[in-house]
Amino acid sequence: MAKHETPLLDELEKGPWPSFVTDIKRQAEKNPDCWDILGQVELSYKEKITHWKHGGIVGVFGYGGGIVGRYSDLPKRFPGVEHFHTVRLAQPASKYYSTKHLRDVCDLWEKYGSGMTNMHGSTGDMVMLGCRTEALEPFFYELTHNLQQDLGGSGSNLRTPANCLGQSRCEWACYDTEECCHHLTMHYQDEIHRPAFPYKFKFKFSGCANDCVAAIARSDVAVIGTWRDNIRIDQAAVKEYIAGNIPSNGGAHAGRDWGKFDIQKEVIALCPTDCMWMEGGELKIDDAECTRCMHCLNVMPRALRPGLDQGASICVGAKAPILDGAQFATLIVPFMKVSADNEFEELIEFIEKIWDWWMEDGKNRERVGETMQRVGLPTFIKVMGLEPIPQHVKEPRSNPYVFWQEEEVEGGWDRDVEEFRARHAA
Amino acid sequence: MALSIDELKAAILKKAETAPKPQLYIKDFYTCDPDSKPRVIKNAANDLVKEGKMMFWSSGSTTMYAMKNRIKDEEGAGGVN
Repeated sequence: MAKHETPLLDELEKGPWPSFVTDIKRQAEKNPDCWDILGQVELSYKEKITHWKHGGIVGVFGYGGGIVGRYSDLPKRFPGVEHFHTVRLAQPASKYYSTKHLRDVCDLWEKYGSGMTNMHGSTGDMVMLGCRTEALEPFFYELTHNLQQDLGGSGSNLRTPANCLGQSRCEWACYDTEECCHHLTMHYQDEIHRPAFPYKFKFKFSGCANDCVAAIARSDVAVIGTWRDNIRIDQAAVKEYIAGNIPSNGGAHAGRDWGKFDIQKEVIALCPTDCMWMEGGELKIDDAECTRCMHCLNVMPRALRPGLDQGASICVGAKAPILDGAQFATLIVPFMKVSADNEFEELIEFIEKIWDWWMEDGKNRERVGETMQRVGLPTFIKVMGLEPIPQHVKEPRSNPYVFWQEEEVEGGWDRDVEEFRARHAA
Repeated sequence: MALSIDELKAAILKKAETAPKPQLYIKDFYTCDPDSKPRVIKNAANDLVKEGKMMFWSSGSTTMYAMKNRIKDEEGAGGVN
């Protein structure tokens, strides 16, 4: 029996799509407090104002992240959501769960919280929605002691690192994304659980440029697998694709007749750097011009494979549009070896160099990408101790200004200009 | 020369008690000792939370530090209705 009339929310159940209203009503049959969510949201729709109070001092002892305080500003009218804190649970690498574990987590959340979950947040955390303050510590105790799962990141912390399925399922993964994500998660436990930075900071790990976790769009440091030698070509398989004996794209578009496979139209003409051609019945690639975009490998996976000298490109500074609009990450290191053999030493050194600079120079609530934008890429590259390379240039020749350092100018700033001009007219 | 950890903690507490605003960003504590590295200051502030002398205050997207007696506790604040 409905506790509140919800005519506006009921409209959202009428389409063919899944509805959160239906989900909450279903959960309200088990936990009547959930009616108060619907009641409060209905009122917000009517009054066009939120009734959630945001933030607070909630947390579990020793942790400065993982729990986001939420309170109703109408607790007497909607007592079921007087406290309605969000709890983030760190996901295992690639989100591999057993069904038993998922059931156990759901049972635990029904015991201490509203029973409602959001699978999953954008950093990959399981998001548990709605819990009273006094239930947080016992929930956390059982979560960590009985289910061996931890809280994720929130606030100005390192957020829960996320990765693609990597080498567990994918032949294109150029490094072990799961091992890398797990290692850095364990290495930076303090940064995940306690605030360290001017604002949030995210890592994401993709095994190849298909970037299944959208690292380049969503993370402050995107580690995207790549290779620096040549694409491996199986010319016999190329012929099979041309003959139509192997379906292109692994048969992914087989639901409709797209006509005969055309390697010129579907692969060569779509290469962003024009580095491919057919010669004597064989596919040729000028690998020096290849940007490793993955398109040709995606279309002909049995004929083309990543090279064997594998590692990752490191891009820095993606963010969502709070200030200045959304931005993609900028390529900073075109190739870095990413290996568990040296405990990801080079990557860790790179990350900590960014942190040391950003913690000092970043403004409050400024993502590292915004700090980079504010100081300019040349300054950032210098801070990172890197030499500028062509891959850093976004728009060649659009900016005529070159800022020389004194040590780069023969004779420094005190040189004899007249003597110089005698040899080089202005 | 950088302050010792105990001196740094005392400076952080003093700042948290006397700053005009009750909730402070970690960067606000950097002025407590310009010679200390930001990570040292962060660790000292987090130690003070573990010792129960300060609290984290989180908006969800940003975390700040505060003395418990100086911040409005939403649970005690009650509602408007």
